[in-house]
Amino acid sequence: MEKKRNAGLETWLMHIFLVGTALAVLYPIFMMVMSGFKTNAEIFGAPFALPKSFNFDNYIVIWNTTDVPRYLLNSTIVTLISVFVLLITGTMAAYAISRYRFRGSIMVSLFFLAGLMLPLRLAIIPLFVQLKAMGLVDNLLGLIFIYTAMSLPSTVFILTGFLRALPGELEDSARMDGASELRIMVQIMVPLITPAMVIAGIYNAVPIWNDFFFPLIFIQTPENKTLAQGLTSFFGEYSVNFGVLYAGLTLAALPLVVVFIVQSKRFIAGMTAGAIK
Amino acid sequence: MANIELRDVNKQFGDVKVIKDVNLAVEDNEFVVFVGPSGCGKSTLLRLIAGLEDLTTGEIHIDGERIDHLAPASRGLAMVFQSYALYPHFTVAQNMGYALRVAREDKASIDKKVYEAAEILQLTEYLDRKPKALSGGQRQRVAIGRAIVRNPKVFLFDEPLSNLDAKLRVAMRIELTKLHRALNATMIYVTHDQIEAMTMADKIVVLRDGIVEQIGAPLDLYNTPDNRFVAGFIGSPAMNFFKGKVSGVHEGGAEITLSDGTLINFPGKNGTLSVGDNVEFGVRPEHFSIEPGADGSLRGEVYAVERLGGETYIYLSSDSQKEIVVHATGDHRVAVGDRVEIGFTIAQSYLFGPDGQSVR
Amino acid sequence: MQTADYARAKRARARNLKLWLAFLLAPPAFILIVFVFLPMASAVLYSLYDWDGLVRKEFVGLDNFADILFNPNKNSILFNAFWNNVKVFTSLMVIQNGLALVLALLLARNPRGYRFYQVVFFVPVILSTVIIGFQWKLFLNPVFGLVNKALHYAGLSDWALPWLGLPETALPAMLLVNSWHWFGFPTLVFLAAIHRIPKDFIEAARLDGASEWRIAREIIWPLMAPAVTIIVVLTFIGSFNWFEIPYIMNGLEGSPQGSTDMLGLLFYRTAFGSVSAGGSDFGAGSALAVLMFIFIFIFSVIATKYLTSREVELS
Ligand SMILES: Nc1ncnc2c1ncn2[C@@H]1O[C@H](COP(=O)(O)OP(=O)(O)OP(=O)(O)O)[C@@H](O)[C@H]1O
Ligand SMILES: [Mg+2]
Repeated sequence: MEKKRNAGLETWLMHIFLVGTALAVLYPIFMMVMSGFKTNAEIFGAPFALPKSFNFDNYIVIWNTTDVPRYLLNSTIVTLISVFVLLITGTMAAYAISRYRFRGSIMVSLFFLAGLMLPLRLAIIPLFVQLKAMGLVDNLLGLIFIYTAMSLPSTVFILTGFLRALPGELEDSARMDGASELRIMVQIMVPLITPAMVIAGIYNAVPIWNDFFFPLIFIQTPENKTLAQGLTSFFGEYSVNFGVLYAGLTLAALPLVVVFIVQSKRFIAGMTAGAIK
Repeated sequence: MANIELRDVNKQFGDVKVIKDVNLAVEDNEFVVFVGPSGCGKSTLLRLIAGLEDLTTGEIHIDGERIDHLAPASRGLAMVFQSYALYPHFTVAQNMGYALRVAREDKASIDKKVYEAAEILQLTEYLDRKPKALSGGQRQRVAIGRAIVRNPKVFLFDEPLSNLDAKLRVAMRIELTKLHRALNATMIYVTHDQIEAMTMADKIVVLRDGIVEQIGAPLDLYNTPDNRFVAGFIGSPAMNFFKGKVSGVHEGGAEITLSDGTLINFPGKNGTLSVGDNVEFGVRPEHFSIEPGADGSLRGEVYAVERLGGETYIYLSSDSQKEIVVHATGDHRVAVGDRVEIGFTIAQSYLFGPDGQSVR
Repeated sequence: MQTADYARAKRARARNLKLWLAFLLAPPAFILIVFVFLPMASAVLYSLYDWDGLVRKEFVGLDNFADILFNPNKNSILFNAFWNNVKVFTSLMVIQNGLALVLALLLARNPRGYRFYQVVFFVPVILSTVIIGFQWKLFLNPVFGLVNKALHYAGLSDWALPWLGLPETALPAMLLVNSWHWFGFPTLVFLAAIHRIPKDFIEAARLDGASEWRIAREIIWPLMAPAVTIIVVLTFIGSFNWFEIPYIMNGLEGSPQGSTDMLGLLFYRTAFGSVSAGGSDFGAGSALAVLMFIFIFIFSVIATKYLTSREVELS
């Protein structure tokens, strides 16, 4: 009897702890969203009340008078192109490493893996000098190259693991069927690792979308700013209009959160892919 | 439709020689089986013919034309793999038609050929399924269908039945033999199962460590093995071997003393033997009789008996021989613990010299 | 055809294969070399020169390093920042990863709402640090922020502090924000590690009558060691590269009074210039980057070695 009641208490404590943590996560987000519908007066006067009306005035201000839509567009462009180039080049490298025996193949894979150990941020100065010389400073293309390069090692790492696991007889069979190496790769092998490509894509897309550091250094003109970076100038401009600021944050968070909620399983698998063996 | 010739074929992976000086001729329409223990190079030899591996040295000819420089698909061969290697994201029809699609045949003719092959293999109702939704036997048939569709000169099979259960394996064995007759094609078939080899082959190639030990018709290998290895490998249960020494050589014969002291006279067989050579004497389990034999007998104590009704396996041991297997037809009144005498005849026994070669 | 022709045909096939491999490897290798390896190598080179803005002047050997480490005017700032990074690492290990461990152990018991918690805990992880930094900066605003408003409503007006404005509270506040941001990540990594432990181990222990605490300590903890190794190393790397949260919440100077100054901020100020550091100095900045890289690299290797040595092989 004693034992049983004890177990019940333990379970209750567990639930309370979990619910408490979940609230600690959700409530601030909830307040951010709600405050985005409020006027300054409401935020100061009744900070915890629901907004008087769910109108989109603050959003309209953002849409019409700030560069936030532009930032959103830039972030989308940079993330999509980076991930696209990344998956193509990453798959190419991973395919060569994992599906062929050739002299120096171990060196080549070490070369790609070495990139995992290098924090590119610390090379920001030479990178800056170099991009300046290439005319890629204040240019989205510069960011795309950096993000692709930075994410290549992890992509190659993730994809090599999956490609290695594909049976060799599949490839041989296609070879007997007369398919060229390119065709074997594109038509037979790569379709079988699309789940891995999604994982690698998410693993890198989220940090690219959220990155703040590289744009901070490489992008100057407002029309080239990405979302994370653009938010800082937006906060400078609207520092006294809290409702608009909250709305801006909500808007910035929205795209990724929506995709996350729809694809949470894949996101979790993707984001933790590097840390789970 | 095609004959194949291998000339001095060698294959090396790094420093490891895997195939050593293989010479082989496969006749048109022949069903040739490569057998040998695991790792002996059967698959490698098949893959060399297919073009999936490059020769280190040597030549391969098909219908008199040298082909070892050609890409796999240009050699006019089709291959069925052990794992079937069906493309998981294609339907059965797409799997079977892939080679034709790669070769840019028009859709109507692809569909027709796929359908015809599917009919032969009774796969027509599964054409739109993905391989995942098929049973092992059906997958196996799709893999064969994929080969048939290409109408190849030569079919290559790498242990195609080893993933099937025993019953299905027997059924497929018969089906493949039928198919061979129906298609009138040359087939090369790799297996490590000597029953498959004996039942299906026109010609068996026994491999060991990359070396061809013997080539011949199944019963030739059974009756006249070239050496101890082939003798032990072909036939099931395997031949019994007894160590002995040459105790006398004379015109037209040799006298052998086994380690238990038994004296055996081999008239007409002495090869290059000389007195004192270590030799081995071999008798197949089915060639022993459970009574003193005309040409000699051995003794042992029964330690196990397996009665299958129509046949009986008796396991004996003696001081000098750990295990002697006897395969007798019908039932026999022997019991564990009995000391029995088993007889053999010289006509159905073998002698192997110090180099392992048969003494003739 | 002559024998030579066959040999030639074979060589052509081999060459085509080489070309194909080169085609596959060249583009990714090119991108990686130009945008990662070249800059990383240049950083070392840059640190050995004197710089005037974007222009490289004379070779000065290790002077830049000596200046950073031994110039009494500058090294106090460096050591202060370094010490703050150490605090960040240790605090995050306790708060963020400790919380994650508890949550992972709870979730491993498959409570009702398991999926829900997984998703919820992960929401902050996918959000941009910038968003989270600003959001909490607004919440922590001394006058209008929700935190102090809440304290007022709770009758605790005395507790309402300018959290980000006091040297004692600014860093702790940021650490809590960082933990809020990231705790979901180690939670799910730990959870995945626990799920990998064969169920038999835990069930056998339960049948033997071991308490949940004992099971956690004596079975789960040692068997999830690989995940712990990874999280410790990632936390370390993250802590010593910490930049976004302090930059967004309190600016480049690590205010108030250097209490939130970090190596990352100092590096940025040195490299690109700031009010306190003056103009940009690529030489000193590169030297600092090289030092940070060496330090982080050495620690990561040692930690991985040490932590891996206590991992138990599951066989
Ligand atoms: N790609 C390779 N690289 C190096 N060695 C190899 C390679 N392929 C095969 N080998 C070696 O060559 C030898 C023969 O291998 P092979 O696959 O031909 O044997 P097998 O007779 O088919 O055996 P099994 O019955 O097990 O399939 C083995 O020792 C194997 O380890
Ligand atoms: Mg094999």
